[in-house]
Amino acid sequence: MKLRHCLPLAFAAAFTLSHAAENAEDAAARKALLELVPQAKIDTVEAAPLPGFRQVIVGSQMVYVSDDGKYMLQGTLYDAKSKRDLTASRLAVDHKRKVDAVPVSKRIVFAPPKPKYKITVFTDIDCGYCRKLHSQIAEYNKRGIEVDYLFYPRSGLNTPSFDKAVSVWCAKDRNAAFTAAKAGKAPTPAKCDNPVAEEYRLGQQVGVDGTPTIFAPDGTKIGGYLSPNEMLAKLEHLGTATLAGN
Amino acid sequence: MRLVFIVTGLLLAVVASAATPEDTVRQAMSTLAPKLRIDAVQESEIPGFYEAIAGGEFVYVTKDGRYVLDGNAYDVANRRDLTATARAKVRKDALEKIGPDKRIVFAPPAPMAPKHTVTVFTDVDCPFCRRFHQQIAEYNAKGIAVDYLFYPLSIHPGADKKAEAVWCSKDRPNAFTAAMAGKDPGNATCPNPISELTEFAKSLGIGGTPTVIADDGTQISSSIAMSPDRLAAELDRLAAASAAN
Repeated sequence: MKLRHCLPLAFAAAFTLSHAAENAEDAAARKALLELVPQAKIDTVEAAPLPGFRQVIVGSQMVYVSDDGKYMLQGTLYDAKSKRDLTASRLAVDHKRKVDAVPVSKRIVFAPPKPKYKITVFTDIDCGYCRKLHSQIAEYNKRGIEVDYLFYPRSGLNTPSFDKAVSVWCAKDRNAAFTAAKAGKAPTPAKCDNPVAEEYRLGQQVGVDGTPTIFAPDGTKIGGYLSPNEMLAKLEHLGTATLAGN
Repeated sequence: MRLVFIVTGLLLAVVASAATPEDTVRQAMSTLAPKLRIDAVQESEIPGFYEAIAGGEFVYVTKDGRYVLDGNAYDVANRRDLTATARAKVRKDALEKIGPDKRIVFAPPAPMAPKHTVTVFTDVDCPFCRRFHQQIAEYNAKGIAVDYLFYPLSIHPGADKKAEAVWCSKDRPNAFTAAMAGKDPGNATCPNPISELTEFAKSLGIGGTPTVIADDGTQISSSIAMSPDRLAAELDRLAAASAAN
């Protein structure tokens, strides 16, 4: 009885909190987007850098809605003055927030002693380029790159690739089991509490559309496989670009 | 001192008003992609924006030239894809400037009057263009007049020469039909609109052949256009939709 009272209250409180900061423009943008895409799951509504517009983050995508809710723009927004891709840089911040929220206890980490960079790699046991990447893990580490793996079995939940990921997660020596599976050895079937489904859903939230999908420390989606040298060059470049951008 | 400010302000106002939409779009795009070709700059339906075709893509540029959006725009209340509409308008206006002297026309035979006219960008060496033309009698029988514009693609070396030979033959439609059936059109030369039409197609962001465009400027998907029945139905639907607006 008590519980039944409490739950709706908790929901109401959460609802009020998340909508407390919403103003008329945010509400109009939300309404406009739902008008066009009723099933859209809206993450964030906020003022856009484009004057007179809101920006709405939906999953891993961004749309811009005029403050009066009349027009919606979908695409990539550039600042012609600074030459910056404002859409990608805002989404990177959002992706970073979501990826960083995964605690280390839910990652499979391969790190050098003093990492200079940390990349997060969505991976699938059964993907060729994921295997290639992992076969060079010592080389990435040697270049100061820490590799944190999250599982993204492309075939989806409760498929053979998914089961392999769970088996690796539940092995006694997780990292060794991961490396063995990446070398093509079928993992010993095992089951336990695991974050695989949660990571798969996170992948969908941050626009993972294949594996490996690699995120830089600043949330930039680097994309797919890069050799250890290319990866280091990319990370160094992003590092300086971020400094220059600020 | 104050006067200086006012005068400066006036000068700025004059400078600002002197910038044409083209200047503004060009200036904004030049910082982002200096070599991109800009075509068809116009006032957008979205207040505060110009729209243009840049490198074949539709872009929206704020009137102050500061922001560029590469993508699509929608009218929320009416659920309209404004980019598709704007692209169609650009194509329609542009096509109206291409006279019959630059087209090869296959109209339904008299006394049948054409119900619809489509403009088709075509290439002698493109297999789907050939297949399209094999069905020309069927399109005509459904009341569809087909106006061809030559757009020989660079991936088909020599197709421009064949187009020229067709263009320069005595009986253009017959030479066209023969060439589309695989017959060598020879190598006649004469003044012709082919390079102009090629540039024209590029300026509209048309990247392939056959590209089929309806009277109202709508680009018809090739899966529809390749079927005379489906094309006729689609043209009826478009005509009804524009009559309703």
